[in-house]
Amino acid sequence: MRKSSITYLLLALLTLISAALALTFGPAKISSQQIIECIFGTCSTPVNEMIIWQVRIPRVLVGLVAGMGLAIAGAILQNTTRNPLADPYVFGIVSGAALGATIATITLGNQLTVALPLAAFLGALFSVLIVVAISTALRNPEQLLLAGVAVSFMLTAISQFILYLGEPFATNRVLFWLMGSLARVEMSNFYVISVVLFISLLVVTAYHRQIDALLLGDESAKSLGVNVNKLRLLMLAICAAITATVVAYCGGIGFVGLMIPHIVRQFIGVTTLPLIIGSSFVGASFLVWVDVGARSAIESAEVPLGIITSAIGSIFFIAIMLRSKTK
Amino acid sequence: MSSLANQPSLIKVDNLSWQVNEKHILDQISFDVKKGEIIGIIGPNGAGKTSLLRCLLNHQNNTTGNVYFKNKKITQYSAKQIAKSFAVVAQKSTPIFALSVFDVVRMGLLPHKGMFTLDSDYDRHQVEISLERVGLSSLMHQQFNVLSGGEQQRVLIARALVQKAEVLFLDEPTNHLDVYYQHQILQLVQSLSITVIMTVHDLNLAGHYCQRLLLLNNGSLVCDNKPNKVLTSEYLTDVFNLTCHRDQDPITKSPRVSFSLNKHNGTDSNADKSTRVTEDINQNIRQDTHQDYKTSGNIS
Repeated sequence: MRKSSITYLLLALLTLISAALALTFGPAKISSQQIIECIFGTCSTPVNEMIIWQVRIPRVLVGLVAGMGLAIAGAILQNTTRNPLADPYVFGIVSGAALGATIATITLGNQLTVALPLAAFLGALFSVLIVVAISTALRNPEQLLLAGVAVSFMLTAISQFILYLGEPFATNRVLFWLMGSLARVEMSNFYVISVVLFISLLVVTAYHRQIDALLLGDESAKSLGVNVNKLRLLMLAICAAITATVVAYCGGIGFVGLMIPHIVRQFIGVTTLPLIIGSSFVGASFLVWVDVGARSAIESAEVPLGIITSAIGSIFFIAIMLRSKTK
Repeated sequence: MSSLANQPSLIKVDNLSWQVNEKHILDQISFDVKKGEIIGIIGPNGAGKTSLLRCLLNHQNNTTGNVYFKNKKITQYSAKQIAKSFAVVAQKSTPIFALSVFDVVRMGLLPHKGMFTLDSDYDRHQVEISLERVGLSSLMHQQFNVLSGGEQQRVLIARALVQKAEVLFLDEPTNHLDVYYQHQILQLVQSLSITVIMTVHDLNLAGHYCQRLLLLNNGSLVCDNKPNKVLTSEYLTDVFNLTCHRDQDPITKSPRVSFSLNKHNGTDSNADKSTRVTEDINQNIRQDTHQDYKTSGNIS
């Protein structure tokens, strides 16, 4: 068996164990034995059945696919733009989602269960359209990133202006949503994110060799028959779809897309297929454990996910910078 | 050369022009390339050498005239079909991420692979064989960006071998390389026995390793002939605007050129005292290197 196959197998095992262990965490005291019974349909009490099937399982499953999605989006963006700092946040996708959420919250008031994720999704797509329009004119990966940063700032400014004028309750709601949480997720969210992820992974697998060719430069990729501009736009659209879907249900969760591919590159490799597979497993496990931390850190309250991921992410990057300086 | 003369053209360039903002980057260029030829494109900076390569590869839009490959217009081939026949070794590439030598050579499989096909054992064997041919088997798992310039060029040539291309394009393959690696790369290219079109800055290297030279100046093809017919004092003095001295390399018997800094129109009064510039220095080093080759055997 190849070394890479063993690594993937271990990572898959890590993800499975993470998911199984995450089911045991929560305010209600349910033993592992009871959880196993509930999963196999012989739950001792209806309350336990409801907690396991309607709260914990959806939460863990959405955590898995959300972590997977954000890490994959980061890996694709980094490889297609040849920039290790590329991330769905940098491309303004989350700012667009925030603008959509802000407008929905201010204008629709109480009918937000469906409207908030939908508006966030539309806002994210809107921001990507602007970035794509600018990048079509620029045709330069470095400037594509700068275009994303500019669009991100512009949309954030609009959101903040609307919130400034809006009522405080609506402002609070948007701000909490932006911090990210898996507290309100349902099984249907898992299905939607999974379908988007499945389609995205199919497309990325189909184009993995072309994305690899980009790693040595645009001219090199062209000489291997790659339509560089089309490929980059297609991958940007894929990342936008993944991120918009995840952000719509889970809010803003930063640094996962930036950090996970960075870690995976160190021990698996830089080419697209191994990076995507590794990032999927590590991203999924990471977010599940972050969510466990978010639920367990403070008694009878939850810390927003975005706060934890950002804190870990910033420490991680400072550590990397210090390590590279001492080398 | 005589056997090549009877062969049909593999590539035919017919009145190729490219204009940007009324400036002629390439102006009515015509020539043909026969299978197995090694052709050097020479000329001063801005003459249009790299632009010509780009046009041959169909990487440039808005050109006029035609480029034919196997009697079919290059524009009628898909990018993938072109990549199956043409391989490119560009000037220095510095990847951001830590690609291994294997990763880079493996890229050559791209034009021959379907969307969902993974690497087979045969593919991996192809990569290994190609690295063996360029003498880099031991560096297969090394990071590409820590290799020397010469090694990187050889890795890219190995990628071209995996690509199974019929024509190899090289853009300034000896740039940034020391004398030893310059000869090593060009000897390797010569030994591949495929059609080669390359832009070369060093005229003496071009004269020694190419079977035919295309001399460009201001986007026009000044001369297309064997090296000893192109590397003449008249052409080179005119194109480079420097006094050119031409003789024969005593070791390789190839044409040898050197330049004097004084302008050939004679306006410089210190012309007689002018220093022979870098070409001369390079020449001395080349002679030393040739001695080294003689004592150390085959360098590749």
